[in-house]
Amino acid sequence: MSSIATPQAAARAAELRRRGRFRPGDAVLHGLTLAAALAAVALLGLIAWKVTDQARPAIHDFGLGFLTTKTWDPGTRQIFGAAAFLFGTAVTSLGALLIAGPLSIAIALFLTELAPRWLRGPIGALVEMLAAVPSVVVGLWGILVMGPFVADHFEPFLKRTLGFIPLFRGDPSIFGLLPAILVLTIMITPIVSSVSRELFLGVPRDLKEGALALGTTRWEMIRGVVFPYARSGIAAALILGLGRAVGEAIAVTQVIGGNVAIHWSLFQPGDTLASRIASQYQGASSAKQVSAIAYLAVILLCFSLVANIGAQVIVRRFAGRHPVAR
Amino acid sequence: MRKLTTLAAMIAAVAALGAATSTASTGRSSGTLKGAGSSFVAPLVAQWQANYKSSDIQYNPIGSGGGIAAITNRTVDFGASDAPLSSDQFKACKGCVQIPWALSATAIPYNIPGLNGRLHLNAGVLADIYLGKITNWNSGRIKALNRGLSLPDLKITPVYRSDNSGTSYNFTDYLANASAAWKSKVGVGVNANWPSGIGAPKSNGVAAAVGQTKGAVGYVDVAYTLKNHLSFAAIQNKSGKWALPGLRGIKSAAALITKVPASGELSIVNPPKAAKYKNAYPISTFTYVILPTKTSSATELRHFVFWALTNGQQYGPRLLFVPIPKVVLSYSEKTLNKVKS
Repeated sequence: MSSIATPQAAARAAELRRRGRFRPGDAVLHGLTLAAALAAVALLGLIAWKVTDQARPAIHDFGLGFLTTKTWDPGTRQIFGAAAFLFGTAVTSLGALLIAGPLSIAIALFLTELAPRWLRGPIGALVEMLAAVPSVVVGLWGILVMGPFVADHFEPFLKRTLGFIPLFRGDPSIFGLLPAILVLTIMITPIVSSVSRELFLGVPRDLKEGALALGTTRWEMIRGVVFPYARSGIAAALILGLGRAVGEAIAVTQVIGGNVAIHWSLFQPGDTLASRIASQYQGASSAKQVSAIAYLAVILLCFSLVANIGAQVIVRRFAGRHPVAR
Repeated sequence: MRKLTTLAAMIAAVAALGAATSTASTGRSSGTLKGAGSSFVAPLVAQWQANYKSSDIQYNPIGSGGGIAAITNRTVDFGASDAPLSSDQFKACKGCVQIPWALSATAIPYNIPGLNGRLHLNAGVLADIYLGKITNWNSGRIKALNRGLSLPDLKITPVYRSDNSGTSYNFTDYLANASAAWKSKVGVGVNANWPSGIGAPKSNGVAAAVGQTKGAVGYVDVAYTLKNHLSFAAIQNKSGKWALPGLRGIKSAAALITKVPASGELSIVNPPKAAKYKNAYPISTFTYVILPTKTSSATELRHFVFWALTNGQQYGPRLLFVPIPKVVLSYSEKTLNKVKS
C-alpha cells in the first residue's frame, strides 16, 4: 500500500485518522450517499413490483402463451398477446443497430484518428447535438420530411435493386418498420459514437505510435491496436444503443404505423412494445387491457435487465483476454 | 464572453418569469380549475377560458384517454372525454359522473390527388374500406356513389388513431351501427383490433398521415379538419341524403335524443330514416365532462360547468359545436348537483 516517507508524516496521518473517527461531517456524507444509492435500488424494486402487480391478472389469464399470441383486440373479444410487438421490437432495434453500429464507429474513428484537428470539435459537437433533439421532434420530422422521401424514393429504390429479398417487397409507405428503423438509427448514433470516441481517445498513444513505427498503415494500426483495445467498450456501447432503441416510444409511435401484425416486408406497418405501451396505456377502456399493457411493460423490463447483464458479461469476458491492456 | 452570455440568459429568464407571474396576478380569478382530456372539445374550452370570469380555467388537451386517467387519479379538477366511460372506468373512477356538455361531429378527410370534386361515401363502403374489403379508389362500389368523379387507380390506405381516442369511439360506434360485419368482427371502442390500414397518434398524427399519404382516408374531428384545410367527404345518411359535418347536420342528428339514460351515455350515430333526421350528419357525437362527486372545489366546478352548459354554448357554432338540446341540458344540470364538497 502507501509508503510513508517520514516519521512526521506518519504521525500526522495517524492524528488525522484518530480525529477523523469523530468527524460528524464524514458520517453525514456517508449516510447521505448510502441513502442515495439505496434509494436508486429501492426505486427500481418498487417499479418492478408495481408493474408486475398491475400485470398479475393478465399473467394469470394469458400465461406464457401471451408471448406467442399475435392478436391484440381491445374491442369485444378482449384477447391480448405480445408476439407482434416482440417481433416489431426485435426487427426495428436490431435493424437500427445494424446501421448505427458501423456508422457510429466510423464517425468515432474519423473524429479521433483521421479528421484534421480543427474539424474534430465542430463535427463531434454536432453529432452529440443530435442526441439533444427531443424524440417527438424526430418523430414529427419522420412523418413530414423523412417519410415522404422514404416512400417516394428510398423504398422504390430498395424494391428495384433488392426486391428479390422478401424484406424489400410490398407497397412503399411513409409509415412502417423501415421508417422506424431509420428514426431509431438517428436516435442511437450520437450515443454510440460519442462513447466509442471516448474509448478510442483512451487508447494509449505509445501503442499506436509503436504500431506505426513498425511500418503498419493507418488502417492496420486501427485494426491491430485501436479495435482490440476498445473491443469490450464498443460492445457495451452497442448494447447501450440497443437499450435506447428498444425503449424508445414516442418517435416510433409516430412513424411505425401502429399495426398488430407480423410482416416480413420492412415497408409494412408494425408496432413495438414501448410504442404500444405509450399509445394505449392512458385511457384503456377495460381493466383487462390495462393489465395486458402492464404485462408488456414486464416483458420490456425483463428485456432491459437481460440486456444490461449481457453487456456486463461481455465487458468482463473481453476484458479478461485483452491482448494489449492489462 | 461565455460568462456574459450566461448572464444575459439569466437576465432574460428572470424577466420572462416576472412577466409570467405578473400576467397571472392580473387574472380576475377567485381560484383555478384544472382540466385535461379531449382534444376534440379543446377549441371550445379555449373560448370558455377566455370568457369565463369567475375562475381561472386551465385545460390540457391530452386526449380523451388521458383525461379519463387524469380524473381517475384526481390530478385534475375535471376530465373531458368524447367517449362515455366504460363500466371498468366508472368503477376505477370511484364516484364520478359524466355530463354531456358539447356536441359536434367527426369528419372523414381523404387524400386523392387531382380529384375533380367532393368525394361521397356511405356507411357500408366506409366499413368495407376499414375492413380491408375495398382496397382501390376505382372500386365499382365507390364509383357508384360518385358519378362524374374520375376516381384514380390508387390503393386505399385507411388511417386510424393508434392511441385511445373518443374520435375512434364515435367512428367505430357509427360503423358498428351501420355494418353487421363490423359489429361482430371489430366492435365499438376507444381502440380496436383494426383489420387493415395504418395507425397514427392523436388528431394531428392522423391529419398528417392523411395529408402525406396518397390514397389515404381517415377520421378527425370537424374543427381540426377545417382548421387544417383537409378535404372531407359527404356522407350519405339513412334517409339517403348527402350530409356534411355542419351545424344543420349535427343538430338534426341530435334530435334523436328524447330521453337521457341515468348513466348520461348518449349515442346519436346513424339516425334512422325519418323526416326529422333527413339532414342528419350520421357521425355526430356528444362529448362529456367527467366530474368527481366529492371534491373540495365543488362550488367553483358547479359554477363553471353550469356556465359552460348555458352561456358557454354561444361560443360553439363558430367552431362547429351545436348548442346542446334542452332535454340534455336539463339532465346535465340535474347531474351537476350531485357534485358536492
